[in-house]
Amino acid sequence: MNVSALELAPAGEAMSALGAARLVLARDLRLAFRKPEQVVQPLAFFAIVTTLFPLAITPELSRLREIAPGVLWVAALLASLLALEFLFRDDAHDGTLEQYALSGQSLTWLLFAKTTAHWILTGVPLALIAPLAGAALGAPSQTLPLIILPIAVGSLALSLIGAIGAALTLGVKRGGVLLSVLTLPLAVPTLIFGARATELAIRGMSFAAPLELLGAIAVLGLTLAPVAAATAVRISLE
Amino acid sequence: MAWTWFHRLGSPPFVYRLATRLTPWFAWPAAILIVAALYGGLVLAPPDYQQGQGFRIIYVHAPSAWMSLMVYVTMAAASAVGLIWRMKVAHAVAASCAPVGASFTLAALTTGMLWGRPMWGTYWEWDPRLTSELVLLFLYLGYLGLRASFDDVQRADRVSAVLAVVGVVNVPIIHYSVVWWNSLHQAPSVMKLGTPTIATAMLVPLLLMLAGFTLFFGAILMLRLRAEVLRRERGTNWIREALSS
Amino acid sequence: MSEFLRMGGYARYLWPSYAITFIVVVLNVIWARRLLARARADALRRLAAQGGES
Repeated sequence: MNVSALELAPAGEAMSALGAARLVLARDLRLAFRKPEQVVQPLAFFAIVTTLFPLAITPELSRLREIAPGVLWVAALLASLLALEFLFRDDAHDGTLEQYALSGQSLTWLLFAKTTAHWILTGVPLALIAPLAGAALGAPSQTLPLIILPIAVGSLALSLIGAIGAALTLGVKRGGVLLSVLTLPLAVPTLIFGARATELAIRGMSFAAPLELLGAIAVLGLTLAPVAAATAVRISLE
Repeated sequence: MAWTWFHRLGSPPFVYRLATRLTPWFAWPAAILIVAALYGGLVLAPPDYQQGQGFRIIYVHAPSAWMSLMVYVTMAAASAVGLIWRMKVAHAVAASCAPVGASFTLAALTTGMLWGRPMWGTYWEWDPRLTSELVLLFLYLGYLGLRASFDDVQRADRVSAVLAVVGVVNVPIIHYSVVWWNSLHQAPSVMKLGTPTIATAMLVPLLLMLAGFTLFFGAILMLRLRAEVLRRERGTNWIREALSS
Repeated sequence: MSEFLRMGGYARYLWPSYAITFIVVVLNVIWARRLLARARADALRRLAAQGGES
């Protein structure tokens, strides 16, 4: 997409920040269709990691059920880290990111759009297949659909937090490990509240409290992360 | 008036000279306070009615933990100033803080483990404070790692500054979430002293230690800042004068 | 004196704690001073190399 597409709406008036954001979101979603491995790989990774735990610890469902929330969340966290590498990589490579920064549109909004697209492409599918993993780890079937919600909200928080790390490590060669080192400490609260919410859900108890805290983190991320990421991107492009 | 001071602080030669003059004013009071606190804590303070003599570890553990947090906040504040006002000196301050903070985080963790062993029976408990300290250590290591991965000083400064600011927002969140998580799993928090109220004789050495360590950080910061400024300003003219005096 | 060193039986945890903290303090001092000394030496060397310029 060329820059002018961001600056002019079809009718020729000046494009609003929201309109530009919508364009970027649509573009990222469209591009993902051409590179489905970017969506599939994290999901496959998630599935593999969840399988490793019963193999390494115990096949007894009753014991697996106890560690299921933790396993699901660690696997989701690791899969998200993997997926984060795709967030900026292509756009940084072909200069699109630079165009975004130069376009005169609010870089914060554009990155917000990219991060949202990223969540739709990785977090949401992760949340949708999590019940399967949960079932494999012994979660009772009536609670399986409930697993979707904490992971959906939590993965949004992770995409936002991870976007900051990805923006910071833009200029770094082989920044993948550094990205993980930076993102994991920041993701600890999400992990704690998310796992707790999942645990309560599996036990059939009310998980409103940790879910609300998880939501609070996501909201905080929504307001702060795109700004921080935009600052980091600008610095990297200087 | 305050504004002229602020502007002067942006000038490397001014900061270098100021830091040189201030160093002994931090160093000597720090030494005196720490020695006094050692005497007060090891000799004068009475044994705790629950933990006996073991509680005296607090006189090294608490200051280390305090340092790890205070230095991080200083680093984040300096980073914010550097980002907002584009002050090189502020970034130099932030860079000087990180190794010091990381080393004291390690000290806090090891002394915490050594304190925990007689109290809990194991070297490690997922006590909220120890767990948050561990995460803080990871934050420091991430900061240092990020700085190291950029050759260009300016970019290293600004990128790591963003990380420091984002991290500081996270520190209370991490601490709160770990406390909450820990209260669910009901591990005893044995870092408290057993007395119903802390006796003055116990409290005063602790406060002296905290003050002493804070001043100690000031002294180290002055030394490191001078070194940073010299490194960054290599080849400029004012250095000739500054070093000959 | 030996009662003091024994610290009511906690000596094995207490003294290493103090030792570790002391070591961290001392290492910080040494490290900072060495950094400054090296920076000064570097800067002086550069000035000498620049000769009588400016």
